[in-house]
Amino acid sequence: MANLEVPKELREEAKAHDMYLHPIDEDTYELFFGPQHMATENFSIILKMDGNRIERAIVNPGFLHRGFEKLAEQRPYFTNIALILRICVPESDVPENIYSMAVDEIVGWEVPDRAIWIRNVVLEMARLSAWMFWIMGFGNEIGLYTAGQWAAAYRERFMRLFEELTGGRVYHIYTVPGGVRRDIPGDRWLRQLRDTVEYIKGKMKDFDEILFDNYIMFERTEGVGVMDKKFALKHAVTGPNLRAVGVPYDVRKDDPYYFYDQLDFEVPVLKEGDSLARVLVRRYEIEQDLYILEQLLDMGPPSGPYMVQDARLKALPRFKPPKGEAYAHVESTKGDFGVFVVSDGTHKPYRAHFRGPSQSHGVTVLEELLKGARLADVPVILKTLDNCPPDIDR
Amino acid sequence: MDMNEKPKVEEKVQEEATVEEKPTLPDTKEGKIVKALLEKAPYAEGEVIRERRVKFTVPAERIHEFLELASETFEMLMQISVVDWLKEGQFEVNYQLWSVSESVHAFVKTRVPRDDAKLPTVMDIWPVAETYEREAHEFFGIVFEGNPRLGPFILEPREYEKHPLRKDFNTLSYVKTIYGKDFDRYDESKTNYVI
Repeated sequence: MANLEVPKELREEAKAHDMYLHPIDEDTYELFFGPQHMATENFSIILKMDGNRIERAIVNPGFLHRGFEKLAEQRPYFTNIALILRICVPESDVPENIYSMAVDEIVGWEVPDRAIWIRNVVLEMARLSAWMFWIMGFGNEIGLYTAGQWAAAYRERFMRLFEELTGGRVYHIYTVPGGVRRDIPGDRWLRQLRDTVEYIKGKMKDFDEILFDNYIMFERTEGVGVMDKKFALKHAVTGPNLRAVGVPYDVRKDDPYYFYDQLDFEVPVLKEGDSLARVLVRRYEIEQDLYILEQLLDMGPPSGPYMVQDARLKALPRFKPPKGEAYAHVESTKGDFGVFVVSDGTHKPYRAHFRGPSQSHGVTVLEELLKGARLADVPVILKTLDNCPPDIDR
Repeated sequence: MDMNEKPKVEEKVQEEATVEEKPTLPDTKEGKIVKALLEKAPYAEGEVIRERRVKFTVPAERIHEFLELASETFEMLMQISVVDWLKEGQFEVNYQLWSVSESVHAFVKTRVPRDDAKLPTVMDIWPVAETYEREAHEFFGIVFEGNPRLGPFILEPREYEKHPLRKDFNTLSYVKTIYGKDFDRYDESKTNYVI
């Protein structure tokens, strides 16, 4: 193979990573996986291959939008909502909610029950639509496209409900500090939500037959990308990935927020720690989320205002919280999503630092798990870890 | 009696400034954790913020020692957040820990000077710190001694030495130097220009 001309900058960067941009010998070569590759979602991994086996992997983020934290320091508190929800696209309600929770804590607002109920329903809807999005991605990676297309269609039902509730399909800009931006449209919307939950509940059997109980899925995931309990804890892996190694840590149970301490649900835990365990934990979680939504709908929206009654809210751009700091986190489908907000008493946050769950399991953990895997396992490991690149780039 | 004379106000005997007693730790799960840790590490200060949130302040030179002690209770390092206090000339580094067994979140705060920001790496305690330290190094310029991978991570090479999340980094002027004449959207006459 001829030595192709490689730009000097790129060559230096690769050398800094102990990599060389040409075949090293007859067997070992380098492969740039992503950012254009469909499976990686704007994420790049530099692979050092020995035949079909990966000898070493280097995660190379930074191909996505970024600078949200810097921008958030230059905007008023309420304007930031429209910005930070873009951090994780399939689950855009999570950044809104944690940011609002942190600001509520700094100001000392007691959010009314109705707002909390609406936020809780929105979070669970976001989780379910993110699961559908994940099924779509995972189904496509292992070649079971039908399941993916079904999931995309079912996600559409949630998008319509979101559109009626908030006015937006993907980016909702709905949860704001102090409550939510507007009230639920009415009983018809609640009935539609219940219908959707019933509908997807009925469809889970089909998903089992075509995806979760399919021998192709078992062949591709069993024994792939195994991690153990100690490794996962040291690497701060959270969410379903941690539950797949036998640690029953769930923010909704361990640091309850909203109505979760009044709801009855289980935290599915498996012990194997391989890709199959991670997939199955997610499959059980979908069922639990449907159950949680049912309970919330049975509870019904509490009466009262949907926004905190505060005179300061009339001059939003100049709204100034007192000095202080707060950390808030929720359980997202990717794991423990947190934010640390510091206020210095002006109308802009002094610092807002987001903890994307993929930040911990998308860099070091991914590099470790890819060692020794086959090339075809790369998308499987990526998708079963549920890596969301914007969590890292921010 | 001279009427113009101001009535004498009895001088208040100023209470002697008592030595500020450390706020007593509540007799809860959080209070017990803080007390147990402070007994092992008397150089640190600790308090309970609210339910399931505790805070420690540790001098920078003993941070590694303290985190090693803390890692017995707090199994996970959730993130390392840096706050740039420009007026005080200091970086505040927040190690945020989570205890899976006790369900408590801890802030461990330490301060380093802005012009000579150095801290020991905690990769040997939590390997995940590698990623967080790379990020903190890239965006703030803090050197974590012992971390082998400090270098370009998320940013492009030309931006790497700039440390964009520092408070004295001006986004607008940086964009103007990079894009120059191409950046014609910026209008000098607009006073309320929002980036």
